Amino acid sequence: MTVVARTWNRLTLPGKVIFTIVPLLIVLTAGLVITLVLVGPFLVDFIAANLAIARFVVAATVILLITVPTAFLIIYMEMKGIALMNLRIGPDRVGPYGSLLSVVHGLKVLMKEDFTPTGADPIVFTWAPVVVYLTSVMTLLVIPFAPDGLVAQNFNLGLLYFFAISGLSVVGLLMGGWASFNKYSLLGGIRSAAQVVSYEIPLVLSVVGVIMLAGTMDLTIIVQNQAGWFTDWYIWQQPLAVVIFFIAATAEANRTPFDLTEADSEIVAGFATEYSGMRFGFFFFAEYVNVFIISALTVTLFLGGWNAPVAWPEQWAIDLSLDPGSLGIGLLLVVLIAPLVLTLLFATPLWLISSRIKTWQALLGGFVLANLFIVGLVVGVGYIGFAWVAGLLWFMLKTYVLVFTFVWMRGTLPRVRIDQLMNFAWKWLMELAFLNIFVTAGAIILIEYLRRS
Amino acid sequence: MDRRFKARLEAQFGDRLSGPVRQRHDQTEIRIRPGDVVPVMTELHDNPIFRFEFLADLAGVDTGEVMQAVYHLWSDTTPDWLRVIADGLSRDDPRVPSVTFLWPGAEWMEREAYDMFGMIFEGNRDLRRIYMPPEYTSFPLRKDFTLPDDAARSPGGGFRHMEQTHIPANTPNTVRRLPGSRQLPSVK
Amino acid sequence: MSTAQRPSADDPRILLDQEAGVFEPVPPYPPRTEREAEFYTLGDGQMFLNMGPQHPSTHGVLRVVLKIDGENVVDLDPVLGYLHRGVEKLAENADYHQVISQVDPLEYVSSLFNEWGAVLSFEKLLDVEVPRRAEYIRVLSAELNRIASHALFMGWMALDLGGLTPILWSFIERDEIVEMLASLTGQRMLFNYFRIGGVNGDLNHDFMSRLGNWMSRATEQIEASQGLLNENEIFVRRMRGLGPIDTKTALRMCFTGPNLRATGVPFDIRRAHPYSVYPELDFDIPTRVEGDCLARYLLRVDEVKQSLRIIDQCLHQMPDGPVMAKLPRLLRPRPGRAYSAVESPRGQYATYVVSDGTDQPFRMRIHDPSYIHLQSVGLLMQGNLIADTMAIMASLDPIMGGVDK
Repeated sequence: MTVVARTWNRLTLPGKVIFTIVPLLIVLTAGLVITLVLVGPFLVDFIAANLAIARFVVAATVILLITVPTAFLIIYMEMKGIALMNLRIGPDRVGPYGSLLSVVHGLKVLMKEDFTPTGADPIVFTWAPVVVYLTSVMTLLVIPFAPDGLVAQNFNLGLLYFFAISGLSVVGLLMGGWASFNKYSLLGGIRSAAQVVSYEIPLVLSVVGVIMLAGTMDLTIIVQNQAGWFTDWYIWQQPLAVVIFFIAATAEANRTPFDLTEADSEIVAGFATEYSGMRFGFFFFAEYVNVFIISALTVTLFLGGWNAPVAWPEQWAIDLSLDPGSLGIGLLLVVLIAPLVLTLLFATPLWLISSRIKTWQALLGGFVLANLFIVGLVVGVGYIGFAWVAGLLWFMLKTYVLVFTFVWMRGTLPRVRIDQLMNFAWKWLMELAFLNIFVTAGAIILIEYLRRS
Repeated sequence: MDRRFKARLEAQFGDRLSGPVRQRHDQTEIRIRPGDVVPVMTELHDNPIFRFEFLADLAGVDTGEVMQAVYHLWSDTTPDWLRVIADGLSRDDPRVPSVTFLWPGAEWMEREAYDMFGMIFEGNRDLRRIYMPPEYTSFPLRKDFTLPDDAARSPGGGFRHMEQTHIPANTPNTVRRLPGSRQLPSVK
Repeated sequence: MSTAQRPSADDPRILLDQEAGVFEPVPPYPPRTEREAEFYTLGDGQMFLNMGPQHPSTHGVLRVVLKIDGENVVDLDPVLGYLHRGVEKLAENADYHQVISQVDPLEYVSSLFNEWGAVLSFEKLLDVEVPRRAEYIRVLSAELNRIASHALFMGWMALDLGGLTPILWSFIERDEIVEMLASLTGQRMLFNYFRIGGVNGDLNHDFMSRLGNWMSRATEQIEASQGLLNENEIFVRRMRGLGPIDTKTALRMCFTGPNLRATGVPFDIRRAHPYSVYPELDFDIPTRVEGDCLARYLLRVDEVKQSLRIIDQCLHQMPDGPVMAKLPRLLRPRPGRAYSAVESPRGQYATYVVSDGTDQPFRMRIHDPSYIHLQSVGLLMQGNLIADTMAIMASLDPIMGGVDK
């Protein structure tokens, strides 16, 4: 054994990593292949018999895979964006430009002690973050990400479902505030209940105009009605509604300037004061997923969803009927040779430009550029050839512009007071939303009349 | 040094002053007895030739023999600060009438004087300790305050290692002098 | 080892810990004063909320017990002493020279004014005449410190209202000033620069070049940071009409400084009872009449502009000469008393020194403006919400080092 120990000690760190992980991977892969070969058919039968459980597992995995990286990305955007607005640097060390910091935060939150404070109601305390997280995530069900059916479930009452589920989040907040056995949490929970309930009304009323224009609550049809150029988007036809919706949605999501439920300077962390570890992680994730969702909904309702701002004219449609299989053995050669060729192709100008760039540096640069080129090519082909790729890209771009707006507001604006907030909702936004409904209805009737006559 | 101000003070308060009116640099100082605090302050505040509407400071002083309550006032009728010293409070039971009826802002200043010296301001609605914890028994700024004795006698005392002193806890809190220390000075 | 009697658990003087997880701010003894009785009896539907010494937003270690009825604050009781260091007692055992560094950390944001108040009293006791160049340097550095302190105030005010950005911008400005003062005094915060009879060290090239650079940009920088806040609707609506106080009440509550000037009284110690070379300098005393938080905030911005004027004049009028009077090392003033006050960024900072003829002060009384202003928070909070507690406290600009001494 000393031979092994001595050899081990003489390895460098990368060597240790490789010599641990690679054999492990080989063994696991071999094991997986053998298992599949042996029990494969039985496994398929088992899954077919318990389809519901299998679907649940897949759905839960997909939810985690979508929401958690989204939350990480938005958290990083917020930390870095607010830092730059504050003329600071923000996360800097953990990944390139600090991008892995939110991942580290997520892991840290998993590793913290999980406790329930004395006097707290254990069941309610445990379930509050679950309720908040669930209500945020379940609204993802109806958001249309791209054409050709990239939507989880296409209800024709999609919008109603959305508002119904997102309104349940107040139950979770109240549960968290009450069960914490802490006056600060109680204050935070009650404030949030008042705030969310007050802003539900302008929120829902402001989209009634859109429903009238589209004639349906089906989100996919609403997006399809906005196809064409950007002038077809509902934002131009419902300017007041989009403003009311945005403000009300900010209040619903407890974001600045309406973040008095978690007002740092007054009530420590509001309803989340007594939470730590993964429970707090749930609240945190839920908030950022909420931000993503309301941005997504704004984009869907008012900004054209997955439509590009300009409509690709019909006569220039590119028909990209790709059939890689027709290349035959040539495909294998292309896959093997193309990276090499591209690397050399991109490395040559780098090598020629300056004599200070060494050969290996040029080759490395060439490799990176070749990868970027291939990725760009794939994305481009996907964009042109598949409508869902284009749609998804535009949707994500627009959504993240709005998410950035939320981050921007957080860095800039101070907080409103609870009575000012309630005044604003009940005395201003609700009236304006009603006004919007009447004006829209009147305009629709008038246009119909004019068109007929 | 405002001589006419000194004349005005002597004219107005002649017999109430328990010492001469002293002036030095830009300060004028009068001494009164603690019982006269209310009439003198009211006079200084209300009389239009004085108009001392601004209470700048309220302090307690322990001279070693007596205690004093020192008030500093400012008015736009004179370029000097006026210092009113309520002199002659006994060190065992210092009592002074409170000026919170004229200046509610003096409440905390009197609280601090109580906390640090044990001076009772009669008429102050809120005469409790402000810096020290509410169960503290000594008055820190007094000249007979020494810390090790105090720690041994305070209610939490003795639990912590550093409070274990060699002086028995039931030693009365008389004026202690360490061997070779200077005499407690007497200051007028 | 010890013969001290350990108090038993039955000793009524010991306040036993309360049950874990239940904290009621009510003291465990019967109320000792009228006010305590009035405050600690709960009405119908009221509860106590303890904003403890550990809180993200009290200005230092301050504990405030709120009596709330829902979101309305019915009454408020600040509890002090968490930062009490016994500076007055320490000063009785220190030399006159040593007291200066002990007095620094009182209002640590504006240390030079703490030192100035102490040093002025000592100079009156000792009949020392300070050279004119030293006086000008004192005024120059103190006005810089005033600007730094107000910059901190502006940022902190916005932070207490929820804006995360202005405090960082204010700190950039404050950082430049503090670096300047570091090149002059050797320290960024607790400067220990003034001495009895002058200052410790003349102006140097590094300081002057930094000051020159900064002065050329100062006005626009202030305008830029103000642009974020002064026109912000949310900010203005939260502060306007909040915690108003009228002149008569302010005088009765012994207010000084910007808090008093915001109510309409143009009382500034630099004009009312001039010290140092302020009579030779030309500056206005900004005053506002509304007396609410917004007025206090805007007033301090105006004061920054006036300070810039003063600094400009100091630079132009700076005479040559020594920066320190010749004094013996062992200072023994004759027995007597001296009181002096300076206009610190928070108000009247005064010291009353009693000397007994030895080389240590017999009694050093420090009058701190933040202490006086903090007692009015209860008065100003009548009928306001919890969120306003922080706003009002921030607008009074207390620094707990000074409050607790």
